Amino acid sequence: MNELIYGVAVWLDDTTYSALLHESYYMYNWVESTHVLTLMVSLGMLFLIDLRMLGYAFPDVPASKIADRLFVPMIIGFVIMFITGILLFYAVPVRSAQSLWFRIKMVLLIACAVNAFVLHRRMSKSVSSWDQDSRAPSRIRVGAWLSLGFWSVVVICGRFIAYDWLDCIRDQPALIDFMAGCIDGQTRY
Amino acid sequence: MSNSILGPYTRTIVTIGFIILVFGFSFTNFRSDMYVVIFPFFEWMETTWFGIIGKTWGAAFAFVQTIHLLGLALLGGSVLAAEGRILGLLMVDVPAKTIVNRCHTLLSWSLIITISTGVFMACGVALKIYYLPVFWYKMLALMAGVMFHFLVRRPLLEHDLETINPIILRMTAVSSILVWFLVAATGRWIGFSG
Repeated sequence: MNELIYGVAVWLDDTTYSALLHESYYMYNWVESTHVLTLMVSLGMLFLIDLRMLGYAFPDVPASKIADRLFVPMIIGFVIMFITGILLFYAVPVRSAQSLWFRIKMVLLIACAVNAFVLHRRMSKSVSSWDQDSRAPSRIRVGAWLSLGFWSVVVICGRFIAYDWLDCIRDQPALIDFMAGCIDGQTRY
Repeated sequence: MSNSILGPYTRTIVTIGFIILVFGFSFTNFRSDMYVVIFPFFEWMETTWFGIIGKTWGAAFAFVQTIHLLGLALLGGSVLAAEGRILGLLMVDVPAKTIVNRCHTLLSWSLIITISTGVFMACGVALKIYYLPVFWYKMLALMAGVMFHFLVRRPLLEHDLETINPIILRMTAVSSILVWFLVAATGRWIGFSG
């Protein structure tokens, strides 16, 4: 599997636009800045929704209203982050694919999506009974805490991608090499 | 404020006076003199515990930077929710006063998080940021944002929103979004200037 991922990353790295994006003076910075600054939209809205479930924000506004009204701007923010994230990966595919922090981030993004789906389903079934309450029931609160926790670690991992502490070019334990997808004898980093 | 010596236009007079002071500071030798005077303070910042921890352990600096980003996300969310409500784009079926007041609490907490983590990060790279023009732009933007929010926007929005000129309301909302976006953008720019 690691060989497959490495092969695909090398193929992407060899494409013209990948090099253009990586070596551009302004474009890469614009893409990265958009990715980071759109946090304020996507995660900002998500934090408001989760904090409402926990009773720390808008306790006198129905929870379903907060979730419904902030959903669209949150999704718009996530779409922009997704697109810019793909571009950032495409600019430096080999190093990104072999970054342990990037891999943890991708796993957590899947966990965030699953958690959001489960939370949304639980909310839809039960919200009429607790909508006006300042705090959601404990099952919903657990989902909200998980959401906050997962997304916080996503941001931490995203920040740590920039550091080369666990890069394949370094000597490190075999387990780290395996989890990061380092290939023996690889020539591209 | 209507009982002050300056009468009912106290806030306006104080604001104009402050703007004149800022221009006087910016376009006279006072600015360059102060720039030299504060250098020892930035040298001292690097010798503090925050500075030593930030310089020694890159992971600690990066972790605190992440908390800074999460605080920024909360700040962005509270600003966009409140200003979106004022502009009639978000949560229009919820009373505006409710949204504005609740978002003010969240913004205050997010400012505490971002400023405290910002101080930690600044200590770790104090002498670097002292020479970075974009750091000073960010501090100016931050000061403008904090003063605008607490001294202009908040007092304005304490009145019944229906009694406020809609154009003034919209300009206030747009200005708030722009100034906080400027703070975030200049902060990002610091990362590209190192």
